Amino acid sequence: MISVDGVSKEINGRVVVDGLNLRIKKGTVFGFLGPNGAGKTTTIKMLVGLNKPDAGSVTIDGKAPSVASAREQIGFMPEAPYFYEHLTGLEFITFCSQLFATHRASREEIDELLQKVGIFEARNNKITTYSKGMKQRLGFAQALVNDPAYIFLDEPLDGLDPIGRRALKTIIGELKAAGKTIFFNSHILFDTEELCDEIGVLHQGSLLYSGPINEFTRGKSLEEQFVATIETLTDVQDAR
Amino acid sequence: MTTFLKHSYAVAKNTFKEGVRDKIFYGIIAFAFVFITFTIFLGSISLGENVHIIRSIGLACIYLFGVLTTLFLGTTLIYKELERRTLYFILSKPIARGELVVGKFAGLLASVSVSLLGMLAVYLGVVWYEGGGFDLLGVLAVCYEVLELALLIAITVFFSTFSRPLASIIYAILFLYIGHSLGLLVEQATRTGGAFLHLSQALYYVLPNLDKFNIRDTIIYSTAPSVLGVALVVAYAALYTALLLWLSSLLLARREL
Repeated sequence: MISVDGVSKEINGRVVVDGLNLRIKKGTVFGFLGPNGAGKTTTIKMLVGLNKPDAGSVTIDGKAPSVASAREQIGFMPEAPYFYEHLTGLEFITFCSQLFATHRASREEIDELLQKVGIFEARNNKITTYSKGMKQRLGFAQALVNDPAYIFLDEPLDGLDPIGRRALKTIIGELKAAGKTIFFNSHILFDTEELCDEIGVLHQGSLLYSGPINEFTRGKSLEEQFVATIETLTDVQDAR
Repeated sequence: MTTFLKHSYAVAKNTFKEGVRDKIFYGIIAFAFVFITFTIFLGSISLGENVHIIRSIGLACIYLFGVLTTLFLGTTLIYKELERRTLYFILSKPIARGELVVGKFAGLLASVSVSLLGMLAVYLGVVWYEGGGFDLLGVLAVCYEVLELALLIAITVFFSTFSRPLASIIYAILFLYIGHSLGLLVEQATRTGGAFLHLSQALYYVLPNLDKFNIRDTIIYSTAPSVLGVALVVAYAALYTALLLWLSSLLLARREL
């Protein structure tokens, strides 16, 4: 289970996340939504141990992700990833795999993974020659290289063409069927609605909603309900 | 192999590959080869002192190009990863920041050592061609240079955890300059006395004395250092390098990504 208890984070004197509480059960696909600057990426960075909260605590299966060994069970794909220019796709994935102690992927498993995300043919090419979509797929592959129980994806469908999006959504569906817990940030609400069991809505660092999608949408589409909620809040703030 | 070594080795291997595939690396090496070969010409116009001149300038060239490679690759080592966010991939995995620092250091040291080995091979060939035989003391001088460059890499890694590459290059050059002038500084201060003497003595004990790694001038006259002297220099380099890497790890651990 992912537990976020009263987490706050300040960056450059600005409160980016403010008293966040979340409980995400194992096997859930959780979509974390919010306008730009809401604090989604800051939250995900704390969830994968890149940053520590100023207040509160984050635990995954009872362990703080800031402790290196707790990250054995985590896979993370950052937003708009940059890669090592002089490595090939295969070298990069192999390198990522070597950073794990309990699940170090074999060459066969790496080949299988690269085939799954659709960049196997380009595995021996330098990453600089990859298109944006191929880099996105490579970023996705490195997040799965340790067969993690918890997968964190920051805007995973950004920059992908419709075919690429379909392919990644299929893989997310397969991971969900395999009982993985998936937490992702996304602006693409149509896809979120299709993939997620639950959502969290963040606005200016505060959680507005967390729970099943249908309880939030109440018969509307997720996009309609999300825009209406944020606009209402913005109007109320403007009126003050 | 312990987890620390496994992780550091994986990062080192990755850093080595990145380093030796960098265009800057090849540019510097190519220039160094041309320069070392050029010492044949310099030797030929030195009136019977050709081997002496080739050894002197050749070893200085190896050192100079080693420093250039270290400065260009070392000062961007961690900074580039922070800027480009490639560290997100690594540090979201079960690796400690200290392991990353040690791996980055070892990878760059391996890249720089390979470049020095290449230059050394050309140098030895040139000395042999000019009738100087196999220059064993020249090999020892280059080993000393590797030790100094290890320390310089640790300095650049330290600076690259918090400053931009240009600033890191300036700091590292200052470090290099002061490190090679410490003996002279204390000598001068002894004559002057007072607060200047205390300051220069404090600097002498805090900063690494890089002149300890320069045996180029003595080996030219075939004076070899003692075994104890070599052991002390190795320990000296190891101590300062370990201290700088430890400080770099602390700084990186405190850094928000």
